Amino acid sequence: MNYTVQVIGESVGKDGRKIIKVTKENFLDLMKDLKNQGFDHLSLITGVDRKDFMEVVYHLHSMKTNEYVVVKVETRDYKVPSVAGLWNSANWDEREQYDLLGIIFEGHPNLKRLFLPENWVGHPLRKNYDMKKTQYINMDEEGNDYATFDERGGW
Amino acid sequence: MKTGDGGVITTKLEEAMEWGRSNSLWPLTFGLACCAIEMMATQASNLDISRFGSEIFRNSPRQSDLMIVAGTVTKKMAPRVRRIYDEMPYPKYVIAMGACVVQGGPYVEGYSVVLGVDRVVPVDVYVPGCPPTPEALTYGIITLQKKIRGETER
Repeated sequence: MNYTVQVIGESVGKDGRKIIKVTKENFLDLMKDLKNQGFDHLSLITGVDRKDFMEVVYHLHSMKTNEYVVVKVETRDYKVPSVAGLWNSANWDEREQYDLLGIIFEGHPNLKRLFLPENWVGHPLRKNYDMKKTQYINMDEEGNDYATFDERGGW
Repeated sequence: MKTGDGGVITTKLEEAMEWGRSNSLWPLTFGLACCAIEMMATQASNLDISRFGSEIFRNSPRQSDLMIVAGTVTKKMAPRVRRIYDEMPYPKYVIAMGACVVQGGPYVEGYSVVLGVDRVVPVDVYVPGCPPTPEALTYGIITLQKKIRGETER
């Protein structure tokens, strides 16, 4: 694995996967490099709330050599460039992270909530999500979900 | 119920109806999470619930009498559970299977789970456990049969 992009750090995880940490500015160039080197499968995207910043983790897999690599990028303003143009599976993965953690993927073609209704308030997997305000979900006549704070208005 | 000498049984019409209903409880094919695996084991050959008249899992709510809510009811699923329940014909019964369905289970502090399916549909029998064994669900079905026949004490 060789790439021209400047990275912050490299290490090896407990499962033997190589971990690359990169800044937000160099992130998209690194992902393009890795895709050109045969990492044709984006296994998963996940996010970690580290309280003062957000970490987004990408697991890439090469179908040919059966190799894995993990890319980590940190963001303080909840914004990360989208990789939906490189791997199509990133489309829904990024929507999931936007839904539950509120990470905004810049350049995403359709950044809407994936699981929760459109009018749900807040992003529930964030550390500062207010668990005391319970929200309820109901379905209208056309089968679309909507969220409400009214206990009698949903379940 | 009286047994006559010539092989004739006299009974009340209600009792005959209840006996018939309780011995042909057809459940709905309806699983939401891991409890559905135990529900399938209950139905399969080792602990065959067709011995008790729950002959076959129907695929349509319009042909079934019993809804076994097997698995976590999320807030997103709750309106669908209610709609399926509304589509079932009377008389209809509900068994709440598993800790999640009874009161929220391990997700009781979460944001996404309904704290008990009795907030969504009326429940006849609660089967606790995480997940309940197939024997426990079989016992729940037998308890429901007794309830239909009016034999249980509340």
